[in-house]
Amino acid sequence: MPRSPRSGAALAALLTLALPALAHAHAVCGDRVFPPTLTMDDPGFNDELSLPTIQYTPIPPSGGNPSGSRTDYGFEWDKTIVPNAGIAINGDYIFQRGAGQNLGGWDNVTLTVKGQLPCWESHEFMVSLGVIHEFGGTGARHLVNAGAVDPVGNTAPTIYIGKGLGDLPFDYLRPFAVTGEFSYQFSDAAHISPNQWNYAASLQYSLPYLVQHVKALDMPEFFGHLIPLVEFVYAKPQSGGATTGTIAPGLFYEADSWQLGAEAIIPGNGATRQSQGTGFIVQFHLFLDDIFPNSLGKPLFEF
Amino acid sequence: MRATFLLSLLWALLQGVPAAHAHAFLQRASPAVGSTVHQPPTELRLWFTEALEGAFSTVEVTDAAGTSVVAGPAHLDPGDGQVMIVPLKPLAPGRYRVKWRALSVDTHTTTGGFGFEVAP
Repeated sequence: MPRSPRSGAALAALLTLALPALAHAHAVCGDRVFPPTLTMDDPGFNDELSLPTIQYTPIPPSGGNPSGSRTDYGFEWDKTIVPNAGIAINGDYIFQRGAGQNLGGWDNVTLTVKGQLPCWESHEFMVSLGVIHEFGGTGARHLVNAGAVDPVGNTAPTIYIGKGLGDLPFDYLRPFAVTGEFSYQFSDAAHISPNQWNYAASLQYSLPYLVQHVKALDMPEFFGHLIPLVEFVYAKPQSGGATTGTIAPGLFYEADSWQLGAEAIIPGNGATRQSQGTGFIVQFHLFLDDIFPNSLGKPLFEF
Repeated sequence: MRATFLLSLLWALLQGVPAAHAHAFLQRASPAVGSTVHQPPTELRLWFTEALEGAFSTVEVTDAAGTSVVAGPAHLDPGDGQVMIVPLKPLAPGRYRVKWRALSVDTHTTTGGFGFEVAP
């Protein structure tokens, strides 16, 4: 059955709301290393590169339309201008399959200006502030027409928070950490794409923290590099539309200068299930400050 | 089969990612992190993932009362710049706390700490 362009575009628009921006950076505060998370940003800023980030999202059948899928191939480059502050650029190439048509093209470009405040080392607590801007109209026109790319841009002042639980008196709870990201997203044209609240959180258990600060494991070294975690990412339109979001349990392998991460992406509520099924995201991430400490990986200006 | 090959290839490529100047994190220690030893150690050894600047890296070892039990200055192993050695005073049975601050050769600073116990 041919897919209704209107309902297809509506579904894709819902999907656009539900899908998170791809790729992010890592941060160190006291004894804690906050790893780069996949469906939300971490609380710090450093010279890093995520390439690639691959996200697969199945689109369930709806309103007589057949099922489809969307695959995003993304990147993010974080560049410090001064220590702990700088800009990040995100982009992703989208393949969308469904209703007898396969579409491919670039998503809108996103630019983030972000700065990390001094962290409270003894309590592994850090905060960053940022402004995220998505440039409307930079994505492929045919994807905009198909509803796969937002037709207008937006700007989101954002606060990022990270808290390691290393100050707890219970040894085996100390590797836990929580992070959060909260923003209000101002649309360039709210009558087309509504303003919305974005909120996200992660719960992590760092085996690197366990073996370095609590108890050496009598296991192969490989296990001491693993970080199991779960991320929760939600968006609520200001206009009163349905809240959508995802829950993403996954596992990271953190090496000295890179990280490999994979997560399942599960619809976080009924409204989200209407627009997407359970997919996955994988990411390869390079810590440029460790790989090129004297060139690409250092701030442009140091004091 | 193909997936296994691709994963093997990816892992091999990852091993080639340069990391000559990464943050220095603790790889292992003797006495081990969180361990209980029956023979009081005469020194503490810390193995890091990167070479350190010895003059700017510090290690404190204290007993349960917070009193230092370090017998001399911490120093790098002359044969291995990734190993920090701290001579210790004779240790009585009890719990001890280690706090380290490491400056890697590319000037990244990292910190950490752990405990160990000397059994009666």
